[in-house]
Amino acid sequence: MSLTEIISQEPSNENLQLWLQKIPYAAFLGIRAELRPEDILFRLPADEKLIGNPSLPALHGGVVGAFMEQAASLHLISRMTDPVVPKIIDFSLDYLRPARFRETCASCVLTRQGRFIANVAVTAWQEDEQRPVALARAHFLLPESDN
Amino acid sequence: MGDHIQHTHRLGVRLESIEGDELTLRLPYREELVGNPDTGALHGGVLTMLLDQTLGMSAICNDATKPSVTPTLDLRIDHLGVTPAGKDILATARVYRTTKRILFAEGYAWCDGQRDRPIARATGSWVRVGDVDMSWFLGPEHAGEPL
Repeated sequence: MSLTEIISQEPSNENLQLWLQKIPYAAFLGIRAELRPEDILFRLPADEKLIGNPSLPALHGGVVGAFMEQAASLHLISRMTDPVVPKIIDFSLDYLRPARFRETCASCVLTRQGRFIANVAVTAWQEDEQRPVALARAHFLLPESDN
Repeated sequence: MGDHIQHTHRLGVRLESIEGDELTLRLPYREELVGNPDTGALHGGVLTMLLDQTLGMSAICNDATKPSVTPTLDLRIDHLGVTPAGKDILATARVYRTTKRILFAEGYAWCDGQRDRPIARATGSWVRVGDVDMSWFLGPEHAGEPL
């Protein structure tokens, strides 16, 4: 099944996992996702291959960014009437605390979806959702749907 | 060397060159980096990871200061084009302004052989929090070594 075929299905815990396994870099990072009542909870389990600073140790900041960008993209797809793979235009990332060597979580808010452009806000945290390790904002271009 | 940056080491990221104030890293193509399996295009998050690494390295190694521990404060990536399958990605960065506490860096990523047509541009700031021994990395004799 192609990615486009998978995303055309209603989001479920099983489909989210299928999406993520189909995206090689998301699968390499080990990203997982589950539906919550209002949104999707994305999880990045601690893994030694994600370490960027071995002396702390801390996760690679760019990996945390990549995880958040993936979360933004899937969150946006899950909110589309006719799902398509969106194209990232730009990504702005604020690091608030070091991401320690432990599980990292992320959730998103679709701030605005227009005809061509979507704006998604991402929060990433460890242990305490009220103490984010990073905030991000992504703009996506929505390709014209085939429908 | 026991203190590799595990994530980039695992992906085979190498120091390509240090020329003047510009530092360049090379990320060899591998299938694990793909973001859209339908097209083979590289994952946008890979560019975030590589540019964070490259700009961050240029901040750590900035000549105007002693090498410092410089966590990323923020990072902005503009995705200028789709990254085709099968190509190594290079990223070049430099620190363009330093203050007592903050290093401002900029850089861009391009496909091997197409330096005049960047696929992504990045700008960000790094906080100088302490000195660090980077002698293992800084010499030109280390070009081509894994990070």
